[in-house]
Amino acid sequence: MTDAAIDTLIDDLAGELEPVRPRRVARGSLWVAGGWLAGAGLLLWLTGMRHDLADGTMMPPLPLLAFWLIVALGFAAAWSALRMGLPGVGRDYSGWRWAGLAALALPFSALVMGLGDSHAAMEAARPENGLRCMVEGVLAGLGVGAALFAWLKGGAPTSPTRAGWVIGIAAGAAGATIVALHCASNDMIHIALWHGLAVVLSGVAGRLLLAPLLRW
Amino acid sequence: MSIDEPSLARLMTASQRGDRAAYRALLNDSRRWLTRYFARRIAPHQIDDLVQETLVSMHRKLATWDNSRPFLPWLAAIARYRWIDMLRRQRNEVELGEGDAAVGAEDEVVHARLSLDRMLTLLPAGQAQAITLVKIEGASIAEASQICGQSESLVKVNIHRGLKKLAQLIESE
Repeated sequence: MTDAAIDTLIDDLAGELEPVRPRRVARGSLWVAGGWLAGAGLLLWLTGMRHDLADGTMMPPLPLLAFWLIVALGFAAAWSALRMGLPGVGRDYSGWRWAGLAALALPFSALVMGLGDSHAAMEAARPENGLRCMVEGVLAGLGVGAALFAWLKGGAPTSPTRAGWVIGIAAGAAGATIVALHCASNDMIHIALWHGLAVVLSGVAGRLLLAPLLRW
Repeated sequence: MSIDEPSLARLMTASQRGDRAAYRALLNDSRRWLTRYFARRIAPHQIDDLVQETLVSMHRKLATWDNSRPFLPWLAAIARYRWIDMLRRQRNEVELGEGDAAVGAEDEVVHARLSLDRMLTLLPAGQAQAITLVKIEGASIAEASQICGQSESLVKVNIHRGLKKLAQLIESE
């Protein structure tokens, strides 16, 4: 490649310049909020809200704590994914990892509880007692996943692999929060296992399916 | 003319509004900055190709610059992405150049070596030596094999694995 070729390229690029609308994270956040509302609206319309919430009663403390931990993970992952669309050397996209570490309290707690009552743990782990929650969680997160994918597809993620993981985790966490509004179980083992699996599966799916599509 | 951040940011802001003269100036400044950037990182015969690819990527991703942030880290992120992409392609194609010993100005050589040396210290010695001989100094596979005492196939394997590791290291920086 010669200097003249680069001069020609610059002339061509300058010649075809059109005004562009700078991408704003705030706008992407609206897409994500829309995706979450769409997923929540659809799932709750199809399956209904859990009775205590529908009656205006609070969730018991432990499921409530689990709910907010997953909300924090979803927020952190979605925020990181949105920022990944606007590249810059030195920018930190790792906030979601801390929320992910905090959310590990759920499986650890479930493990300890399961060791204390293995019969209850075995019962909670039976697919007929939770598989549906996991599937619904994955499906309910698709709105957030689609919004983040569309945002990053138009952006410039400099690590598509990481972006795929983070989109999947954000989508899964969003789906798990939506399922928590519907699922009546207050069992921490059920929540950690089946709602948590929705996050893990979505993360793996994001890594495998979305990462190759995010290359540019 | 020096390439300073405030001027580049102003040119970029104007470019996003569709000012072609500002954009042409920005592309020329970016080209000079990128040439220096890549001179510290890749073999000389690959610089122009990578500058071109980066300018095209910059053009396609113009909307992803946030005018509340500096311009050069944005450009560097795009350049680094293209560099990693090139390393991955090289890993896959084992595309080997000849006669790459000549590098531009003396300070560029020093900077290049400093940057590359730092990266290469993070690789196993055999991989670093194979990459240095073939990718930096422009030796052929056969020459590199004779110099470092590795078989030709091992040189290729070491380049392949080393470039893969290098791409991961750069990405995680």
